[in-house]
Amino acid sequence: MKSELELRGVQQRFHARGVEGGYITAVDDVSFTLAASPPQVVSLVGQSGSGKSTIARNVLGLQKPTAGSVLYGGKDIFKLSRAEYDEYRRDVQPVFQDPYAIFNPFYRVDRALWKAVKKFGLASTRATGLELIEESLRAVRLEPENVLGRYPHQLSGGQRQRIMLARVHMLRPSFIIADEPVSMLDAQVRKHFLDILLDFQREHGMTTLFITHDLSTVYYLGGEVMVITKGSIVERGPVSTVMHEPSHPYTKLLLDSIPQPDPDARWTTRINVDELDEEEKTDAPATAPETPVI
Amino acid sequence: MRLLTAVLRTIRHSRRLAVGLIILGLMVLLAVFSPLIVHAIGGGSDPIEVAAYEKWLVPGPDHLLGTDQYGRDVFAMVVSAMSVSLQIGAIAGVISTVAGVIVAFVAGYKGGWIDGVLSTFTGILLVIPTFPLLIALSAYAKNVSLFQVGVMISIFSWPFAAKTIRSQVLSLRSRPYVDLARVSKARDLEIIVTELLPNLLPFIGVGFASSALGAIFGLVGLEVIGLGPGGVIDLGQIIFNAISTGALTLGAWPMFVVPIVLLTLLFAALNMINIGLEEVYNPRLRGVAGE
Repeated sequence: MKSELELRGVQQRFHARGVEGGYITAVDDVSFTLAASPPQVVSLVGQSGSGKSTIARNVLGLQKPTAGSVLYGGKDIFKLSRAEYDEYRRDVQPVFQDPYAIFNPFYRVDRALWKAVKKFGLASTRATGLELIEESLRAVRLEPENVLGRYPHQLSGGQRQRIMLARVHMLRPSFIIADEPVSMLDAQVRKHFLDILLDFQREHGMTTLFITHDLSTVYYLGGEVMVITKGSIVERGPVSTVMHEPSHPYTKLLLDSIPQPDPDARWTTRINVDELDEEEKTDAPATAPETPVI
Repeated sequence: MRLLTAVLRTIRHSRRLAVGLIILGLMVLLAVFSPLIVHAIGGGSDPIEVAAYEKWLVPGPDHLLGTDQYGRDVFAMVVSAMSVSLQIGAIAGVISTVAGVIVAFVAGYKGGWIDGVLSTFTGILLVIPTFPLLIALSAYAKNVSLFQVGVMISIFSWPFAAKTIRSQVLSLRSRPYVDLARVSKARDLEIIVTELLPNLLPFIGVGFASSALGAIFGLVGLEVIGLGPGGVIDLGQIIFNAISTGALTLGAWPMFVVPIVLLTLLFAALNMINIGLEEVYNPRLRGVAGE
């Protein structure tokens, strides 16, 4: 297992009509490194359209960046040899955002797990494969008999998302690229999911790139946080530092947008956000974000 | 196998699908056994030969649907003509569906300039007025075989299938489950066949049915105005004979009515099957427990 995943000057442009220059820049000169040891959780925070999902697609090799490179073990992931590619594929695995679209509606959910078993040669016989699947399902606190043999539409969003975690559990990658995995789950399922992710970090040494727009989950996960806006990373540091001493105005805005579970705090929070918006309008720095829709 | 049991289960639940399949099945059976039926009617000699019997016999026990202006047995003619019509439908349907599906998947999945070239090409074929061109083609193609007629017709019918399926591929290829297949080391062809194709079966089915029907009716249209290729007798040619000889005024109504009824039944049957199969293809419409 290679120990490092590195983005070097990654830039991603998309053709777009009616835009100046004929393209939009989703990711602009992003560089960062994820280390497999010690296992850590690195959160990537930003608003919709800031380029965070595009970074996930770049890292997963689903989208070739227009400039710069994604390096796995020091080598460009689009120039790997057959054996290196196989290793990279197994070692860098995703959890996607939408638990409703992640399963092909035509097949039972088992297929996603069996595919992983077969494609990555995890088991030589059907019996050991099934054993592995059941073990992984239990690891994410699912009862195999409740999910195996079901169609995706018969399971809840939380169950489906945990099947994806079971898939990750089977593959034991060094890196999990989790693209907004909890944004479509409800509150207690979300905590459940995050706890499993932390278990994976502790027990199996997996490093997670956790992409989200929700700072409260970042708080909960801890580790490091990177703040991205308009395709550029503007701040990186330990969660506690960034949260308490934000250096970039966008990070401040994000922090003020966390709803407080306190009825008395509501009024002041709203005023704060409005004031910050006013501030942004008057002396906006070059990288100031667009006013978020509230 | 799983699909087969699902189909069988749906047939039990969907009366529409069952009726459509029964009608189509009967027609196919009739077509398959048409040489035997024709032979039985002729009783040793060929009942479709010119002057096999007397002209313009009215329907009766010897000739269920009477005879035509050349003294041919209409029932025997209808049976073999239906076999011809179904074959044309099957040939043109298969060719245009296969061509349409391949073009649609290559264009939709690969995208970029490949998509541009293929889409422009299908677009050009789509706007060519098919029927006048078929008339012109058939003027040059006397005594062509059934297969050649099928190919001729399918040249113009595959773009319809290609267009609709391509748009579906475009929407499906960016689904997360395709991404999941890619990070599971699935190759492009594997993704197309196992992830995309099953979800597009309804569209492919509709594409097949509409090009098959289009081909059958295209040939009927040509024959009815007397411009059909010489080598084949299909249902349209019988209708043409009935119109041009004024068969209705001579009491030989089956020559006119029977082919039309058969064509209508065929149309209805294929449509009922399409609607019924939709329930099989779409797992959300299957039983809640999954089995």
